[in-house]
Amino acid sequence: MKLNSIFNPQTVAIIGATDRIGSVGRGLVKNLLDNGRSRKIYLINPNRNKVFGIKTFSEIQSVDKKIDLAVIAVPAKIVFKIVKQCCEKKVKGIIIISSGFAEIGTDGALLQSKVIGLTNRANIALVGPNCLGVLRPSTGLNASFAPLSPNNGAISLISQSGALLDSVIDASADKSYGFSTVLSYGNEAGITLPNFLDWAGKDKKTKVISLYFEGLKNGREFFNVAKEVSKTKPIIVLKGGKTKTAQKAVSSHTGSLAGAAEIYSAAFKQAGLIEVNSLQELLDVSKALVWQPKCKNGIGIITNGGGAGILATDYCHQLGIKLTKLDSITREKINKSKEMHPGWSKNNPIDVVGDALSNRYKIAIDALIKQKDVNGLMIIQTMQVMTEPIKNAKIIINAKKRYPNKPIVTVFMGGKLTNPSINLLEKNKIPNYSDPMRAAHAFKALINNN
Amino acid sequence: MILSFDQSKKLLTKYKIPFVKGELVESKTAAFNFVKKYGYPVVLKIDLPNILHKTDIGGVILDINNKEKLILSWDKLSKLGKVLIQKQIGGVGLIIGAKKDPIFGPIIMFGLGGIFAEALKDVSFRLAPINKKEAKEMISEIKGYKILKGYRGQEPVNLLKLEQILLLLSDLITKEKIQEIDLNPVMADSKKAIIVDAKILI
Repeated sequence: MKLNSIFNPQTVAIIGATDRIGSVGRGLVKNLLDNGRSRKIYLINPNRNKVFGIKTFSEIQSVDKKIDLAVIAVPAKIVFKIVKQCCEKKVKGIIIISSGFAEIGTDGALLQSKVIGLTNRANIALVGPNCLGVLRPSTGLNASFAPLSPNNGAISLISQSGALLDSVIDASADKSYGFSTVLSYGNEAGITLPNFLDWAGKDKKTKVISLYFEGLKNGREFFNVAKEVSKTKPIIVLKGGKTKTAQKAVSSHTGSLAGAAEIYSAAFKQAGLIEVNSLQELLDVSKALVWQPKCKNGIGIITNGGGAGILATDYCHQLGIKLTKLDSITREKINKSKEMHPGWSKNNPIDVVGDALSNRYKIAIDALIKQKDVNGLMIIQTMQVMTEPIKNAKIIINAKKRYPNKPIVTVFMGGKLTNPSINLLEKNKIPNYSDPMRAAHAFKALINNN
Repeated sequence: MILSFDQSKKLLTKYKIPFVKGELVESKTAAFNFVKKYGYPVVLKIDLPNILHKTDIGGVILDINNKEKLILSWDKLSKLGKVLIQKQIGGVGLIIGAKKDPIFGPIIMFGLGGIFAEALKDVSFRLAPINKKEAKEMISEIKGYKILKGYRGQEPVNLLKLEQILLLLSDLITKEKIQEIDLNPVMADSKKAIIVDAKILI
């Protein structure tokens, strides 16, 4: 599907453009103007001559240039009329932000089907209605009323909910990861979730696809598309609304056992998707998959704290992540280094002991990463009085450069004293997690199943 | 609507899904003839398609291994409705089911039977149609897989036969206009896996 008019329009008309404080239209205008670059933005509002000091047009037909994308934020009852004008203007794409359609009941659904009738006949790509809009950091497009523009990156975040996206964008603003696309598809009256999924699968800027939704309109179509796309790109999914609602009258065992939540999970698994249980896990896993390569099962853990190492071991075990046995060469190297604490663990996890300075981390990392059947590393750092976080981070970054095919995930645990080193790690695309459990979940996604 | 015993048997036979030897018998003599042909032990059941748990109303009598018990059981059940006689077979009880899901269409289910399915929900699902690899995964991902593999010296059950039933049922639910189907129990041992009871909703 050609969605260029949606993701990289040269000319955009905002219908319902306003600078009234507290309005959706104001958010749209600000976002589109702020990130306009070479893009030409036209403001349409018959009731105002100027918005943010820019001259408005009373209707889209008054614009004498061709319009690629029309973004509509007007009351539902006049959307039909506006869309009709857009069709006459021969716009290529439309985003309807306005709510008051199928989500409110039969009257809204009727209105929605009338609007769809228009756009289908005119062969116009339609996003929405009832959505946040579309953000495409790589082309500088923010056709949404989100509070911020997200960082550019390689995650495509596609969500049924718009409000969740707003918070994700805000939360990720000071992080090192970013997005190739952020969009909420709303009622998916025109372009559907499977359409977007298929598009993201082919999009060169997207490396990882992250999904949030509560329900699917056409489960089978989603399943078929997801199964294809997941062969080439990881798809991570967070499904909301898994609580069982009132049970229908039981007619068969299969009927009573096959609750919606179970079937969704089975479908995700069968289609090769990674299902996660929280928004944090969605982002944790996305970050790992964007920054690190995948590997075979069998990893090594290095820690300067016994407790943290034990927790990490437990979580890895629960998730089926195997810890590779140290071979005699690795053991010998560490023993002979003369700098390692004599009480080091001799096993995987390698406990370099709490008073470890950076040299011990370096010895352990160098020895372990060189062992052939250690396919990736989880490196834990608890914050002791003598710990050297920045030096440790640099050693890890250096090891990563030498072994680009072995994923490294870090668990630098702490706050004030640790944060500068975490920032350094993440700037160098080493994903860090504050808790070994989060790191284990992220690592699980990095391990190939077969 | 729920299919009768004969209709169910016919549909399963069409898909070559192995059903235990059994027939509706209208007289004691017919029951005796069945035993003559197939031997003891046998099970008597009432054929009331609308009842989910036949055992709850005393509609299933197991371990009938002599003439005396057969007569007693016949007298008891024939008052309640049509009587079905079946060869009693041992093994691990499993449930294999399928249904049309409103979101995803045909789906298929596998699990340990009886209380394990209901109380522990130890079942796995896939969208149908499934392939051989998916059938294998369905079997191996339930918690009770250890029991199937042979626990504490028990012989392992024939997993290939179970895979086969899954594949056949997957074919059935994909092609037929039925809503839900329970094959419950499916009895499996080291040699075979056979459907003992089926409930089919159209």
